[in-house]
Amino acid sequence: MRIARIQIENFRNFHKLDVGLGENAVVVGENKVGKSNLLFALRLLMDPSLPDTARHLKEEDFWDGLPRPLTKDDVISIAVDFADFEDDERFLAVLGEFLISTEPMVARLTYVFGPIDVVDEEEVKESNYDFFIYGGDKSDTRIGGEFRRRIPLDLLPALRDAEGDLANWRRSPLRPLLDEVSMRIDRSELATIAENISDATEALTGTTEVTALAAEITERIEDMVGEAHALDMSLGLSPTEPDRLIRALRLFIDDGKRGVGDASLGSANLLYLALKALELEQLVTKGKRDHTFLAIEEPEAHLHPHLQRLVYRDFLRRRVHQEGEGEEPRAATSILMTTHSPHIVSVSPLKSLVVLRTAAGEDSSEGVSTASLELEEEEREDLERYLDVSRGEMLFAKGVILVEGEAETYLIPALAKLLGHDLDELGVTVCSVAGTNFVPYVKLLGPECLNVPFAVLTDFDPQDGGKNLGEARILKLAEIVVPKKKLAGKDNPERIASARGSGLFLNEHTLEVDLFKCGRHKSMCSTLSELTEYKKAAERAEAWKKEPATLEIERFLKDIEQIGKGRFAQRLASKMKGDPCPAYIKEAFDYVIGRCS
Amino acid sequence: MSSAAAANLRVPYLSAAEDLRGNAEQWQAYQSEGHCVVLAGPGSGKTKTLTIKMARMLTEDVRPPRGIACITYSSECAGELRRRLEQLGIRESRNAFIGTIHSFCLKHVVMPYGRLAGLDLGGRLAVAVPSEQDRIFEEVFPEVYGENAPPYGWRTGFDKYRRTHLDRTAANWRGDDGDLAQLIEKYESRLHQKGLIDFDDMMLLGLRLIEENVWVRQCLQARFPILVVDEYQDLGLPLHHIVLSLCFKSGMRLFAVGDPDQSIYGFAGAIPDLLSSLSEKPGVETVRLQFNYRSGQKIIDASEVALGEPRGYRSSQRHAGTIDFYECPDGLQQQAARICNEIIPAALARRDGRDLGDIAVLYLDKNDGDVIEEAVRAAGMKFIRVDKGGPYAKTPLTRWLEDCAAWCAGGWKTGSPRLSALIRTWEGFNASVRTESELYKNRLSLVRFLFGHRQPSSAGAWLNDAYGSLLEGTIKREPTLRDESVALANLRRVCGNEGKLRELTVAGLGGQGGSPDHLNLITLHSAKGLEFDVVCMMGMEQGRIPSWAAKTKDSKREPRRLFYVGLMRARHEVHMTYSGFTVNKYGKRFYNGASEFILEVQTRLKDSS
Repeated sequence: MRIARIQIENFRNFHKLDVGLGENAVVVGENKVGKSNLLFALRLLMDPSLPDTARHLKEEDFWDGLPRPLTKDDVISIAVDFADFEDDERFLAVLGEFLISTEPMVARLTYVFGPIDVVDEEEVKESNYDFFIYGGDKSDTRIGGEFRRRIPLDLLPALRDAEGDLANWRRSPLRPLLDEVSMRIDRSELATIAENISDATEALTGTTEVTALAAEITERIEDMVGEAHALDMSLGLSPTEPDRLIRALRLFIDDGKRGVGDASLGSANLLYLALKALELEQLVTKGKRDHTFLAIEEPEAHLHPHLQRLVYRDFLRRRVHQEGEGEEPRAATSILMTTHSPHIVSVSPLKSLVVLRTAAGEDSSEGVSTASLELEEEEREDLERYLDVSRGEMLFAKGVILVEGEAETYLIPALAKLLGHDLDELGVTVCSVAGTNFVPYVKLLGPECLNVPFAVLTDFDPQDGGKNLGEARILKLAEIVVPKKKLAGKDNPERIASARGSGLFLNEHTLEVDLFKCGRHKSMCSTLSELTEYKKAAERAEAWKKEPATLEIERFLKDIEQIGKGRFAQRLASKMKGDPCPAYIKEAFDYVIGRCS
Repeated sequence: MSSAAAANLRVPYLSAAEDLRGNAEQWQAYQSEGHCVVLAGPGSGKTKTLTIKMARMLTEDVRPPRGIACITYSSECAGELRRRLEQLGIRESRNAFIGTIHSFCLKHVVMPYGRLAGLDLGGRLAVAVPSEQDRIFEEVFPEVYGENAPPYGWRTGFDKYRRTHLDRTAANWRGDDGDLAQLIEKYESRLHQKGLIDFDDMMLLGLRLIEENVWVRQCLQARFPILVVDEYQDLGLPLHHIVLSLCFKSGMRLFAVGDPDQSIYGFAGAIPDLLSSLSEKPGVETVRLQFNYRSGQKIIDASEVALGEPRGYRSSQRHAGTIDFYECPDGLQQQAARICNEIIPAALARRDGRDLGDIAVLYLDKNDGDVIEEAVRAAGMKFIRVDKGGPYAKTPLTRWLEDCAAWCAGGWKTGSPRLSALIRTWEGFNASVRTESELYKNRLSLVRFLFGHRQPSSAGAWLNDAYGSLLEGTIKREPTLRDESVALANLRRVCGNEGKLRELTVAGLGGQGGSPDHLNLITLHSAKGLEFDVVCMMGMEQGRIPSWAAKTKDSKREPRRLFYVGLMRARHEVHMTYSGFTVNKYGKRFYNGASEFILEVQTRLKDSS
């Protein structure tokens, strides 16, 4: 089972949020964009530990964009859709009556807060405000909170005191696990163990030294407060009653040399997470609940980047592993986490990403997700690898320029700077797809998915016989991103032209040639002669510098390749001056920057 | 938790089950694991078997959030099952539904799935009150039968046709009676246009949703993996088809109990053979309960003679029982007078500790009820009357009010009925209350009312207070209670200053469900499922039972079963009165002698003595 969609209206940062979700959700976004509010919205509906007083919201919880005073039509609503539950009759028993569609089955639960049953518009009073929850599309029928006990949402808050909780028996995540063990353990065996411990304790406390110490302490207390107030004190190891024995067990680290209280913040958090995960799995196995949605707020706290990657790879991928092995049961926990950490984003399954950001032109946040992204298996692997290596940079960007290779990643930001654009400051990322397969990236960034402004810069790549590779590439991408009606009835040259309107830019040859021709021949030739190991190449460069018209394109490209395109571009980037720039690149800058400010 | 406390929480049914062990058939039913049909004769402990088995299945076979749906014939039967289950520690809850087929279909099929399945009844479902149904019926009637035909006396046939012709695409829908089919179609569409449904609609729409949608069956089966049906013989074709669909097409497990011999609602569409047809299906374990724990062997033997079919039921009682006949040639009034002045006093004297509540007078219709009621009043006996002509209709709301009255009249001291059960039902009535705080206010006003009305008072005043401080808002707000508003108004009227029950106290209203010092006046039809030490059957004339219209062996089957049901209510004594004639509505007498069933019984008694 999973949450398939969240719709929020008029709640805190959100005017109208509508976002689809995959198996798990990793929510990223800038500070104050509403990541925690999104989780709180889910808690209003699903967290059984949240008291009803907290479910009763306040005026300030209404979205700021609503004019005050609020009217009777202003309501906060939080609707969550559940999917993939029809194969399990336990979920179907809980959710079956709340269906909104039958094939496939989708159930919806909605929390509403607002003025209830108001007759007279003028008379909306604070006391009219209340919340209720309904299922399916039947807003006239209230449902109780029983579903919350069956499919609850548990929250691990950002600033949790892992060390403190581990040390305190009442709050320790170890407690439910030990309680479970003590139910199963054989009573007589336990009694024998208790006796042995009792004997050992007596042997230890019976030594003259220990007995003397105990007496000394007692005596000191009596000196302080008198016999009447003296405490009945003894030294010992642990309670020796069989029932309390199990609870006396404590966690140790470093080969039992140190208690968990001495663990580093990081280790304590690691332990805490592991125990919590175990507890949740057991709750489901024991039938106490049917599924847990575990919300983790900023789980990166106190964890070393390397550990972050390992721990959350396990959390987020566990289910995928189990399915891979065939007969294993489904994971009974779905994870919803908010994070700033590129390390966590980089290990997240591609379809689990949710990006929250400020909506253009509105004082509210919008959300986009990768849940409905349809990719071939290789495409998905490509993208996940890219996100891993780049630490998810693309997800945090306001705009993206997709390029073919390393050379562009040096040259494009440099050209932008010379034209007066600081891409870093603008939040525009230049991303190399290492080749010419732009398709998965375009799908990810396109309007159907993340909807981030992006441009594709690709080479014409002329071939023998007047053919080229670039046009076909653009036409294929146009099918994905250009609205159908803009392509209808057009021939290929027209289509390629209108693809520019959707951010697909083709040059006339290749980056280096187009750069040369736009007026950067001097710096290029200097760079070439500087870096080449071949005397002849240096001579050719000098000649082309003087007479650009004599450029032999094939030769020029070969000479650059001998140096290495990347190395060449890196050096060239630092040498360029002035503002000559190929038109397609200039247009791409205007296209992306215009859309992300 | 201490282990003793844990045991208390878990196993009340386990000790009760020990009682079943001595009876091989009951034990077999208790041990069944798949589909099980229990054919249970009168007094065979079927309710006990059913409730203990249900408690077991709820504990051992299903786990929340999944549960069991238990469907029975009437709200009366449902109330009795609830009471019995509560003794076994089972309360109605989200995973234990106990109710009628109508409320099951409404609450668990039509309301949750109707709209999604494309059933468009315009917004919220509202139940038509009887007067609205009548008006629509009278509106559409002339459209089919012309202006001159009077629209009276058609309703029974209309209802039966509607309940027995379920497949409207089949040829016999129009084939059997085209006019009636057209009338039904017009009536329904007019009703639905007004955004209303009636009682049968709940069931028929429920059936349609279940039969036409795999996903509805899937959801129901997830929610209720086990279906328990009581009084199967009375529930008719719609329920039978629901059972076939859910249990034999989808995988719901069935535990059905009933007795074809006690099927007496043929006029309403019940078909006795349906249960036996289930028992013949492959994979169904059939159990016959043969022991009768109620009646003396003599009474059993006589009953089987009247039924016309040997069943071989064996009495567990030492006494044989008595059957006596009283010819009263002056007519029904004389019968009533003899019952009150001669039979009842003698019966009370015959046995120590016997009280009026142990005695019932059974009769055929409301007119007989009026006659016996007058005689009972004249004799100064307290009584309870249950028939269609009873002072008020027994509906979920009036039943609940009786329970509330019982609580106010002293039930609060002993916890019977339970306050929590009263509150739960009350919350069910207030289905459209959406917020916790509203719900709380509602609960509070009920508790305030109940606690504030624990001193003795008249039922009329009590009901007025209940209406003013509690019921009015709910009745006006809840569309599913629309038909209850009529029943409530009537109850208030009969308990009011001018009404028949103006002298009824709260305790008396609370005792309307049965009370040790009230004589029971009940129609034969309503007596099913009950038992009494002494049973008087009144008005047993040829021409009435069987009726003059029943001439063939086949058409006499149902009256036979009705007569049989009457006899089998008795533990010790049966007294039958007759005059040997019937009277039509113009006062003309027809002399046909005593009921032929009486004669058959008499012959048998003579032979054996």
